[in-house]
Amino acid sequence: MEKIIRVYSSLIKRNLDKPELVKVLIRLGLEVAKVWVDYVGDKNAPESLRYLNSICFKFILEPLRDPNNSAFVNLLAPTEILHSMDIYPLFIEAYSSFISGFYCEDTFIDKATTEGISDTLCSYHKTFLGALELSVLPRLKFAITSSILCDGNSNTFRYIANRYRIPYYIIDVPYKYSEESVRYVVSQLKEMISIIEAISGKRFDIDRLRDIIKLENKTRRYLKLYLENLKNHTMPNSITLEMYKLFVTHPYIGREETLKFFKLLAEDTVRYPDSGYRIFWIHIMPYFLYPAQRYLNFNGDFKLIGCDLNFDYLEEMDERKPLEAIARKMILNVNNGDFKRKIDNIKGLIVDLKIDGVIHFCQWGCKQSFGGFMLLKREIEKMNIPFLAIDGDAVDRRNNPEEQINTRLSAFFELLNQRGKRW
Amino acid sequence: MVGYVCKYTPYLVIESFGEKTVRIEPETNSCEVANALTHPNMCSYAKLVLEDIVKKGIDKVILTNCCDSIRRLYDILETLPFIKFLHIIDLPRRRDQKGKFIFKNEIIKLITRYEDFLGKSFNRANLRDLLNNMPSSTEKRYRDLNIVLIGGRCRDSLIKIVEEFGGNVLYNLTCTGNKPSYRPIGMNEDPIEAYANILLDSYPCIRMDDTKERVDIFKDERRIDGAIYHTVKFCDLYSYEYASLKDKLDIPLLKLETDYTDTSEGQIRTRVQAFIESLKKSINKRENTTKREKRLIVAGIDSGSTSTNVVIIDSEKRILGYSIIPTGARSVESAYKALEEALKIANIKIEDLSYIVATGYGRIGIPFANLEVTEITCHAKGAFFLDRDVRTIIDIGGQDSKIIKIDEEGKVIDFVMNDKCSAGTGRFLENMSRVLEIPVERMGEESLDWKEDLEISSMCTVFAESEVISLIARNKERKDILHALNKSIVKRIVSFIERIDGEPKYMMTGGVAKNAGVVRCLEERLREKVIVPDEPQIVGALGSALIGLEKLEDG
Repeated sequence: MEKIIRVYSSLIKRNLDKPELVKVLIRLGLEVAKVWVDYVGDKNAPESLRYLNSICFKFILEPLRDPNNSAFVNLLAPTEILHSMDIYPLFIEAYSSFISGFYCEDTFIDKATTEGISDTLCSYHKTFLGALELSVLPRLKFAITSSILCDGNSNTFRYIANRYRIPYYIIDVPYKYSEESVRYVVSQLKEMISIIEAISGKRFDIDRLRDIIKLENKTRRYLKLYLENLKNHTMPNSITLEMYKLFVTHPYIGREETLKFFKLLAEDTVRYPDSGYRIFWIHIMPYFLYPAQRYLNFNGDFKLIGCDLNFDYLEEMDERKPLEAIARKMILNVNNGDFKRKIDNIKGLIVDLKIDGVIHFCQWGCKQSFGGFMLLKREIEKMNIPFLAIDGDAVDRRNNPEEQINTRLSAFFELLNQRGKRW
Repeated sequence: MVGYVCKYTPYLVIESFGEKTVRIEPETNSCEVANALTHPNMCSYAKLVLEDIVKKGIDKVILTNCCDSIRRLYDILETLPFIKFLHIIDLPRRRDQKGKFIFKNEIIKLITRYEDFLGKSFNRANLRDLLNNMPSSTEKRYRDLNIVLIGGRCRDSLIKIVEEFGGNVLYNLTCTGNKPSYRPIGMNEDPIEAYANILLDSYPCIRMDDTKERVDIFKDERRIDGAIYHTVKFCDLYSYEYASLKDKLDIPLLKLETDYTDTSEGQIRTRVQAFIESLKKSINKRENTTKREKRLIVAGIDSGSTSTNVVIIDSEKRILGYSIIPTGARSVESAYKALEEALKIANIKIEDLSYIVATGYGRIGIPFANLEVTEITCHAKGAFFLDRDVRTIIDIGGQDSKIIKIDEEGKVIDFVMNDKCSAGTGRFLENMSRVLEIPVERMGEESLDWKEDLEISSMCTVFAESEVISLIARNKERKDILHALNKSIVKRIVSFIERIDGEPKYMMTGGVAKNAGVVRCLEERLREKVIVPDEPQIVGALGSALIGLEKLEDG
C-alpha cells in the first residue's frame, strides 16, 4: 500500500506546475481512498471505527466536490451554523493531515517557508499555506475561524482570504467566561450569520439551528455513554482512528452520521473486555510514526484509551438559545482560558478512565500546548502516573527523530511493565 | 515595581495608585531557568521575560492574553511562589465599539483587583491627570534615508544600529514601537473609557482583527527608502505579514530574525550595514571623476570566521598576490599575518599600499584599514569582476551562507543570509567530517562516487549529526552518506535562492565551493552550470580591494 501512495505522491510532486491537475489528483486520491475504506478498510478495527473512517473521507470530500457551497474552517469554528445552512466545512487541519498521508507535506511546507512563512510555525498551518501558495487548494466561498485554540488561526485565515479574495470572519473568543463575554460572542455570531447569508444567498433559520443543537446534544450523550463504558472495557484502537475522532467531536458534531457513529461506538465498547495498560494521549497524534504504531495500534498490552482533545467540552447545550449555547461552548472549551482548565480536565479523565500512563506529544510549533507541558507533567506525576513527553511533528515527517522516539517509548512501556497497573 | 510587556497594557492605571511600572525588556542572553519551566521551543522573548522576572525578582506582573506564549507565561508565573500580584487582561482582537466596551471593562477589573491588593481606592482624577500629561503624537521627521522598522518586538540596539549607519527610523511598527497618540481628557469624560479608546486606537499589532492600518503606511512609499522586517525566533505571527508584504512593496525590504538576545548582534550589524549601503548607492548617483595617473596598489582583507584572506591588486586590477590563512583566536593578528604573507608574494612593502579595505566578520577591529565594507557588497563586486554575466552569488563560508542577487551593472538587488543557525555552512561540513572521520578537503571528491541515494532529512547540524550516526550504524557507505549530506546542504541553498528569485549565471564562492560534491549536487538541482572561481575563498577580499581602488579613483 505504501508503495502505491509513494507513486501517487511523486505524481503530485511532479505536476506541481499544473495546479488544476493537482487539485483533481488530490480529490481523486481521496475518492479512491474512500472506496478502499468502504470495501476493504482496516480489518482490525471494530465496526464503529470502520464507519468513522468512512465518514471522515465523506466529510473531507464534500467541500472538495462542491467548493461553491463550502467554507474553510478551523477545528473550533462554530460549524453548527454551517450545518444548519447546509454549507460544507473544510477543516484545514484535516486537509493538511491528508496531504501528509499522501507523503507530500515536505514539498508543501517548503513552498510556504520559501514564501516567507516561519519554519517554526505549526506544520498543519504550513502545509495548508503551502497548498494555497502552490494554488492547489480549491477556492471556497468564504472562511470562518475562532481565535481558539491557537494564534495561527486568525492569521492563517486572514492570509487565505486575502490571497483568494474571499470574505472571512474571525470570531474573537474571550479568554474568561462571563455573561458579558457570552454577549460579545453572540453579537459576533449574528454579524457572521448575516455575512454568510449575503455571500451564500441562503437564509438562516434559528429553528433549524435548534435542531442541529438537539442532534449535537443527543450525540454527546452517546459520547458520554462511550466514556462511561470505557471505564470497564478497552476496545481496539489506533492512533490514526483516535485522530479521526477529532472530525466527529468537533466540526462535524451536529451531523446525522456523527450521531450514528457514537451510537455504534458506545455499543461496540461493551463487546470488549478490560485488558492491558491504559494509555492516555495528550494533544495530537503522529499517526505515521512507526514506534507509536508499534506500541499502540491494536496492541494487546498497551491500550490507547483516548486523546484529551476529543473530550474538551462535554456539557449539554441549551437548545432554546442556540447562539448563546454555541458562545458558551467556545468560551468554556477546556483549551481556552487558563491552562489549569486543561489540567483539571485531564486529571478528571485520568481518574475516571483509570489511566496507567500519559503520553504528551509536543507538536512542532504548537506553543499553546507545549508551553504548559511542564505544569501538566508536575500535576500528573503528583497523581503517581508515569508521564512521557515526546517532541515531534504529526505532519512533517522530517521533524521526527524516529530512533529517539522509539527509545523513549520503549523505555516508557518498560517502566509501565515494571510498575504494574496503577488502578 | 509592576512589570508588564504588552503595549496595550493600561499601565497608567497602576501609576495612578502612585506605583511605579516598568516595561520588561530582558537583558539576559541565557534561558536556563525558563528552559526548566517550559519547553525550549517557546518564543525566545517569552522565555527571556520569564528568566528576567525570576532573576530580578519582579513580584508584580500584568500581562495581556496577547499570544500563546504569553498566555502560557501567565500560567507558569501563577505557580511561582514569590509572585505577589499577577493579572492577565483579556485583550479583545476587535478595535471597534464592541472591542472597546470589552476592553474598558477589563481595565475596570484590573483596577478592582489592584484596589484589593493594595487596600487603597482608585482615583479617577489621578488617571485623568496622568493621561493629560502624556505626549500626543509627534510629527514624522523625514531625513535623507528613511526606514520603516516593522514586525515583532526588537531590542533598542537594532534601532541604534540603523541610526549608526545613517538610517532614520521613520516608523517603528514593532511591538515595542509606536506609542499611542494621547489627547486631552475633559473633566466630564470618563478617563477609563478614554484610556481604553486611546490604547485600542493606536497602530494595531498583528494579533488584532483588522490590521490594514499597518500596511497603509507604505502608501507613503515615495518618502520611505527601505523597510526592515524583524521577527523573533519561535514567534510565528509576523511571518504572515512578511510573506504578504515582501512581493507587494516597491522599496527594498530586509528580513531579520533574532532570538532577542544580543549574541547575534555582529551578524545583524553586517546585514543592516550592507542594506543601508545598498540603499545609499541607489540614492546617490555616482559622479564621474578623473582617474589618477599614479600607480595605485590596494589591499583587500576578508576577515572571516574560519579563514582570513588577503588580495593585493594594482590600478590595472591585476592580482599581485594573495593569501589564505586560518583565523586564529585574535582576528587582528590573523589579518596582519595574512597581509604580510600576501605582501611577500607581491614583493612589495606595506608602505607601498595606497589603501586598505577590510570586510568580513572581523572588519571592524582592523586598525590599519582605511575603510570597512560588508562582505555582501564585496562578494558582489568580486564575483561581477570575475564574470560580468553572473547574476546570483552563492557564498558559503565557515559559519555564514549568503545568496546575493546582482543586476547587469553588478549592483546588489537583494540578498539573504542565514541566521545564527549553522545548517548548511562550512561548520556543518566540519562537524560531519569529524563524525565520518574524513578530512574536509577529501569529502567532495569521495562523495562523487556515491552509489546509494540516501536521504538526510534534517538540515539542522545537531539533528543531521544524529541521522548520520544512524546511517553509520546501519553500515551505510561513507561516500553515500557524504552525498546525502551534500544534498541536504544544497536543499537549504536552493530554498535561499528561491527566496530572492535567483537567476543564472550562478557563481559559488567561499570555502564550501571547493567541495566538488556540493557543487555537482547544486548544478543538478538548479539544472544550471555553477561557476567556481580558481580560488573561491578570495572573492570577498578581491571585491574589497576593487572597492578600495574605485574609492581612490573617485578621489
